[in-house]
Amino acid sequence: MEQVLFRHNRPGRCVTISEYRAGGGFLPLEKALREMSPDQVQQRVIDSGLRGRGGAGFPTGKKWSFVPRDLPGPRWLICNCDEMEPGTYKDRVLLEANPYLLVEGMILACYALGVEHSFIFIRRGYETAATNLARAIAEARGAGLLGENILASGFSCDIDVHLSAGRYICGEETALMNALEGRRANPRAKPPFPAIKGLWGGATVVNNVESLANIPFIIAEGADRFRSLARIPEASGMKLFCVSGHVRSPGCHELPLGIPLSEIIDDACGGMREGSSFKACLPGGASTPYFTPEHLSVPMDFDAVARAGSRLGTGGVVVFDQNTCMVRATLNLVRFYARESCGWCTPCREGLPYVVRLLEEIEAGRGSLEQVALLQEHVRLLNHAFCALAPGAMGPVDGLLRHFEEEVVEHVIRGRCPFN
Amino acid sequence: MVNLTVDDKQIAVERDATIYDAAKAAGIRIPILCHDKKLHPFGGCRMCLVEVEQMKGRLIPACTTPVSEGMIVRTMTDEIIKARKLVLELLLLKHPLDCPVCDAAGDCDLQNLTYEYKVDANNFTDEKFHWEIDYDNPLIERDQNRCIHCGKCARICDEIVSYGAYSFVNRGIEAKIGTPFDGKLDCEYCGSCISVCPVGALIAKPFKFKARWWALNKVKSVCSYCGTGCQLTLGVKDDKVLTTIYDEDQGFHNGQLCGRGRFGYQFVNSDERLTTPLVRKNGTLQPVGWDEALELISTKLQEARKNDPSAVAALATPRLTNEELFLFRKLFKDVVGTDSIDHSAGYAHEALTAGLKESFGITASPSQIVDIQKSDLLLVIKTDAYETHPVIGFEINLGVKRKGVDLRIISDKTGKLAKLPKAVNYLHKPGCELLLVNALAKVIVDENLAAESAAAITGLDAYKGMLAGVDLNQVAAVTGVSLESIRELATAYAKAEKALILLPIGLGYPGHGKELAQALSNLALLAGKIGQEGSGLLVLGEKNNSQGAADLAIHPTAGGRDAAAIIDGCASGAVKILYIAGENPVVAYPDRAKVEKALDNAGFVVVLDLFLTDSAKRADVVLPVKSFAEKCGTFTSVGRHVQRIRKAIKAVGESRSDREVLADIIARLTGEGVAADSATLFKQIGCYSGVNYDALGDAGAIYPVNVSPKFVPVVGSVPATEEGKYALLTGSALYHCGTMSLSGVGPMLVCPEQYIELGRVDAGKLGVNDGDRLKVRSASGELSLAVKVGLRMPEGVVFSPYHFADASINSITSGKSVTWVSLSK
Repeated sequence: MEQVLFRHNRPGRCVTISEYRAGGGFLPLEKALREMSPDQVQQRVIDSGLRGRGGAGFPTGKKWSFVPRDLPGPRWLICNCDEMEPGTYKDRVLLEANPYLLVEGMILACYALGVEHSFIFIRRGYETAATNLARAIAEARGAGLLGENILASGFSCDIDVHLSAGRYICGEETALMNALEGRRANPRAKPPFPAIKGLWGGATVVNNVESLANIPFIIAEGADRFRSLARIPEASGMKLFCVSGHVRSPGCHELPLGIPLSEIIDDACGGMREGSSFKACLPGGASTPYFTPEHLSVPMDFDAVARAGSRLGTGGVVVFDQNTCMVRATLNLVRFYARESCGWCTPCREGLPYVVRLLEEIEAGRGSLEQVALLQEHVRLLNHAFCALAPGAMGPVDGLLRHFEEEVVEHVIRGRCPFN
Repeated sequence: MVNLTVDDKQIAVERDATIYDAAKAAGIRIPILCHDKKLHPFGGCRMCLVEVEQMKGRLIPACTTPVSEGMIVRTMTDEIIKARKLVLELLLLKHPLDCPVCDAAGDCDLQNLTYEYKVDANNFTDEKFHWEIDYDNPLIERDQNRCIHCGKCARICDEIVSYGAYSFVNRGIEAKIGTPFDGKLDCEYCGSCISVCPVGALIAKPFKFKARWWALNKVKSVCSYCGTGCQLTLGVKDDKVLTTIYDEDQGFHNGQLCGRGRFGYQFVNSDERLTTPLVRKNGTLQPVGWDEALELISTKLQEARKNDPSAVAALATPRLTNEELFLFRKLFKDVVGTDSIDHSAGYAHEALTAGLKESFGITASPSQIVDIQKSDLLLVIKTDAYETHPVIGFEINLGVKRKGVDLRIISDKTGKLAKLPKAVNYLHKPGCELLLVNALAKVIVDENLAAESAAAITGLDAYKGMLAGVDLNQVAAVTGVSLESIRELATAYAKAEKALILLPIGLGYPGHGKELAQALSNLALLAGKIGQEGSGLLVLGEKNNSQGAADLAIHPTAGGRDAAAIIDGCASGAVKILYIAGENPVVAYPDRAKVEKALDNAGFVVVLDLFLTDSAKRADVVLPVKSFAEKCGTFTSVGRHVQRIRKAIKAVGESRSDREVLADIIARLTGEGVAADSATLFKQIGCYSGVNYDALGDAGAIYPVNVSPKFVPVVGSVPATEEGKYALLTGSALYHCGTMSLSGVGPMLVCPEQYIELGRVDAGKLGVNDGDRLKVRSASGELSLAVKVGLRMPEGVVFSPYHFADASINSITSGKSVTWVSLSK
């Protein structure tokens, strides 16, 4: 299978810059700087149909186009590498194997956006990835691929790696900007949107690692080629699926978008573990509603997964087998979100701990049917939170109540967890 | 303008309005907990959720969402009510239901909304928090358990006060408003945080358990401390002023107050108030009836009126109302026939009464407070402008932080204003203001930056001639401000489209007199900064009616004695009768020993005051007068703003207003009754003929002036220095204003005694720390003062406020801008 992001990978170690260049690395950058205008680069990314890989799936090129060309003052590009959602580890795998792809993608994005200074905001725990990036940036700078007057094109830009102080909320793009400015990582109100007023008040684009890492391929091979990589016509490109849970060989695989869920589990991950049968999975990280066996044939692409009642999210697939208590699994996830709430808005700060308590009661066999109804109400009302953290946290709860209501009610009726 | 529909009402609002603003303009109330019109939108509480037709599928926060053309908004649907109810229920999970013992009950947004949304039972239960309550500071009780995380306290402290005492700490449900290192609150104690707290998490300690909010009678008035003229609402019960109440719609300052305005009201109902007239009999002051006291005064004045009017002198505090000052002048100038009247030690009003009078032909500033935020560049003389007029300081903060005003400060210390973003403080040696201002003008002339308009103003040639003699290198050497800095500041000032100069004046600032005001007027005229919005010169009078006292000419105008001469006259025996209305010369005027001797030597001294001050103790007759809360009248504040004060309580004891006393004496002397009601008196005040008393309302009015500008050259001189000694500067402490705040309780809890402030280097050299004592010796005396070590004072310069009666700093000062002192342990 053709690989876009993993094509340069070397088994067991990080690729070197000479290997990367020998494999065609930095040629797309050269090509763009020599032959293409920033607008052409942007247009090609728009045409490619590349959608943000960080969770929301917003078209990357369109996001870029929101930055007004004539806005005065400095503008910024931030690569969001604050990957902290349970079950998601694709950016780590990517950067530990190959930091150059991101560096090249960022320079291309800077060129398209007219950005002179960009940042990689990276999770503190990702030490290897950060070291790789620092080395890659230094090497790129040494090779004249980054810094002043890149490849004698007259274009200059630089990249700084910023180690996050480390909170899940820092991955929310406006909270990330606050954190980068040295403030408490609370999300900001939108509007104004970052494309108009973001980091230090300047126009700002925040893109995920994987989104940016796809840019060199799109520039090199063209938009149509990128689109054709996907399995279904409405999708475009490849996607890193990081699978964990009760499968035989969990891991991160680059697969075409639109691939059916069953293929990811059975072909890429060797199927379920011995004695396990598929009960449910989180299709795209900890904030997405569950999929069940009826969803195994769903093509894994943004729109198709949304039509099936969940979200492709980050592509972090967490698989549960028949022995998993879905109430307990959900409780585990919501606990994470309750802990990581920044405490800014009422529904998230006060509501999530309450949902945790409700789930705890139900799991402990002390729940009531009224509490199940309350849980249902919260799924709707916590959507009115300040940012997407609380609605995200309610994703699994939503899935739990939609697909496993019987299991929840069984906890209540039997007065204990049936899996104990 | 943007057109939108809110609850079927068509509304047109400004482009930058939010949905909340639009609804408010249309009279539609959207409930809020975390929103405050003065602060940046927050959007945290989620009470203001509304439905927008164009954004279906989720509810939209009204307070953070800007309006857009054609928006269709619904503010009350079943889903909205459910969402708001959920917010309230969630908040009540942790919020203690201790309303019966909470001071905020009745004035609590959470309580009101809980009632309105009929949250009568909670679907949820949870454990409450048990955060430790912060009782450890004198004025603000902090109970985190009641906090609903609206963040207003932290935001107002950061955005407007620019102090930053609070911040959010921790995450999730553990999130709370923290202080540095979670210690006890230690801040400016302006109490802004209390005013915006929607619940009882922040409580004014002096008011705790005093009364229920709904039992208070709310009386709108004007603060009686500094010259800013903040409007305030007094909370009154049983003829006692129990608190000040926050009203966000009051004044240019939106109800914001400083610490003394908010916490300093307790002098009104102090137990120390004088309640009966006192007359000295056999060496002691004995209570007498009003008639006896007034008859005694009238007899003495009548005698002098016939025999030797010039032996009569009178001093008035600029805290009196305009109407009282009018009668004061009438009594002494017209009836008795003496020109020896004055206020504020004679020098603390000169900037207006002599300086601007000559330069502009008016005794007032041509600019107004609202110009501060409209300006491009502010040139502030001394960072002390924040300490003397804190709420004007808030305006400066807002101008710099929100409007990007370029703040430049010429100062002898590095106070709070200097710490504002991008502020430039030109730190100079003490007493060099005049030299610097002239040097700026010299640069403007040399570099042809003078405005064309300057050519048409009288006296330009003489002014330029004087400036020709200014040696910039010498100024740089003497002031310690580099030539480049002087050039850079002059250029920035001249080139700014709108530039405003702020000059605080007062008893603590002897250097800020006539000459400095004129030098600044010259500078502003030269650069063409007079006469347009956001530009000009704003002289900040010290007391609540300093501007009124200047307008009403409470100073000698026909060769009479000024305050200093009156004191000297008392000492020499030339002044035999001294009438002191509210001034406290013993504590506030320079050279305490001299003033004390003078008062002892004067034949007959009458003091009218709220308290038995150190000056009153030396009087022959002491009359108890009403505070601002017991009378009606008008004050004129900075920027010519005339505002009404209103009677909130009945007189304390037998006290009468100065107005009543003066009218009575005039009647006794002339045999004719005088109208003593404020409305009639106000209409007789010539300089306010442009103001309609009956239309003053709550907002007051700015009286119009015609400026006839003139250059009045003033030559700066190199201040004398004394080797091996420290330069002692006097001034205002942030928590105090004049000597009245000594009885205000609140200010005294924060700043209770005379202190000497010095920088770290000097403290190190002297081997002293905070709280140690230093002997401070000048040519005229010695004091032992508590040490306060800070970052404000440069090496070799020390500061001491002037308010305190015990160890008052005027024991060692003599009215010069700098007093040279030696310090020892």
